[in-house]
Amino acid sequence: MPKILIADDEILFQILLERALEELEDEGVELLFADDGEKALKIIYEQKPELVFLDLVMPRLNGLEICNAVKKVHCIRDVFIIMLTSRGEEYDRRKGMEFGADLYYTKPFNPDEILQNAREILGL
Amino acid sequence: MIQISLKHLLNKKEVSGLLDELLAAMKININIYGIDGISLTGNEDIEPGEKYSVELGKEVIGWIWGPAPQAKTVAQFLSYLANKELEKKVLAEETLEKYKEINVFYEIGEKLAGNLNKYEIAILTLNEARRLIPGEDYFILFYNEDDKRFENISLGGSNTEEPFGPKKEIAENVLHNGKAELINDLGADHRFSGKSLNIVSMICAPLKTKNQNIGVIGISSTAKLNYTAQDLKILNALSFYVATTIQTAKLYDDLKETFVTTIYTLAETIEKRDPYTGGHTRRVMAYSVAIAQVLQLPQDAIERVRMAAILHDIGKIGVSDSILLKSGELTEEEFQEIKMHPIYGEEILKHIKQLHDIIPGVKFHHERYDGLGYPENLAGKEIDLTARIVAVADSFDAMTTNRSYKDALPLELALDELRINAGTQFDPLIVNAFLHGCETGIVKLWR
Repeated sequence: MPKILIADDEILFQILLERALEELEDEGVELLFADDGEKALKIIYEQKPELVFLDLVMPRLNGLEICNAVKKVHCIRDVFIIMLTSRGEEYDRRKGMEFGADLYYTKPFNPDEILQNAREILGL
Repeated sequence: MIQISLKHLLNKKEVSGLLDELLAAMKININIYGIDGISLTGNEDIEPGEKYSVELGKEVIGWIWGPAPQAKTVAQFLSYLANKELEKKVLAEETLEKYKEINVFYEIGEKLAGNLNKYEIAILTLNEARRLIPGEDYFILFYNEDDKRFENISLGGSNTEEPFGPKKEIAENVLHNGKAELINDLGADHRFSGKSLNIVSMICAPLKTKNQNIGVIGISSTAKLNYTAQDLKILNALSFYVATTIQTAKLYDDLKETFVTTIYTLAETIEKRDPYTGGHTRRVMAYSVAIAQVLQLPQDAIERVRMAAILHDIGKIGVSDSILLKSGELTEEEFQEIKMHPIYGEEILKHIKQLHDIIPGVKFHHERYDGLGYPENLAGKEIDLTARIVAVADSFDAMTTNRSYKDALPLELALDELRINAGTQFDPLIVNAFLHGCETGIVKLWR
């Protein structure tokens, strides 16, 4: 059963992503949640989600640090990381790619695009 | 339609954890059934006890079997959670709808920032409208003041014909009143009662610019839809984008046209000093643009060629009449003065920022392909392409019109002159393009 991790310290965005991806739950995808960087990293290591939505700014570990740990230090390749940034937030796309982020979205994201991308990434 | 299933609710770790603790504290066992009658707990062998419904609003979404009165409390607890879950999802859904709108407007703003004509703007906007508002025929009707007709641009509907029936009638109303309309059931509208209708629901908003309404944007459906005030608000916002972008594009075009006309008038004024050269500017421009078209240059390059051709002799304003209009042979000194006009041209044009990129076309139109021209003795591809084009057009027109010092050559002889001097005076590529243009009719020769 494929898993998706939603890591965001703002509950609102957890709820919104959950709603945007709800269709996938009916198809057997399990949604996991984390509200800080450390919890997110623990879930990535232990539960091995195929897809991770990662907020850039989170307590304890930020999105880039998590990316770096997962992709560069532990070399976990079979996880697709989508970085979430706020519009106007300073985000260097090239730096994100260097750290191992596969894609990034700006909030407010387009829910249709999120769902379609998640389907493609999970091969559904 | 947002749904909550009991199964989905119990799959949530917080809910199932809390429920387990609750049951342990109450020291009871229960059985939970979904609306389809399938057990969600799997312990069907326990004593049934009483049956209590779990309700979402007034709708039953499952049952709890267990001992009274504790099982009733559990059922109420799950009902409460289900209702909270529904509220949360409704709010999330509303927020996500807003997100979709925001994204549409971001994207439309970015796309419309490019240089588009009004049809491109219309299609782009209608495509975005289709993402947000339900319907079948998404249309923009541009109103033409001159013939009092609408021009119909439609996605999903018929594109070619003029609108008719209620679509036309509502559009006219919206156009003239400047107010949007929302009609969910045309049959119930007094204007259309008793008429046979090809659409049932429609919303329509005016395209307002500062001075007038230039048309309408609308969406219609052959099935009954419930358009909301929110839909109309979005349509109004889209109409604002369309109208302002079209107005900006039109102002830009007007400005460009004014600029070109001014330049052209200036060039003609200078030309008037020499009665022999009447129409020279116009012909050199037409020949040059035709050559550029044969060479399939991009549109912006063709525009540069046009401007350079119009202004190629602007520097002659700095050459005195006694030399410019002299009918006899020029002295060496006088000829040196004439040869200054490309440089004068550069000096005049460098004060106009918008014309900086045509300076090479003006300054070097008397250079020769073999390097024996003036003012800088440039050769071959060193000479700006526009200048090489204007050189051929300018020389051909000079050969085929009467001048104070000579009679016009017949066209065939002038074309021969171009052939003979290709590779020495002229770039052979440009000469070939000119000859090819004559054969194919792209170059139109004056007789």
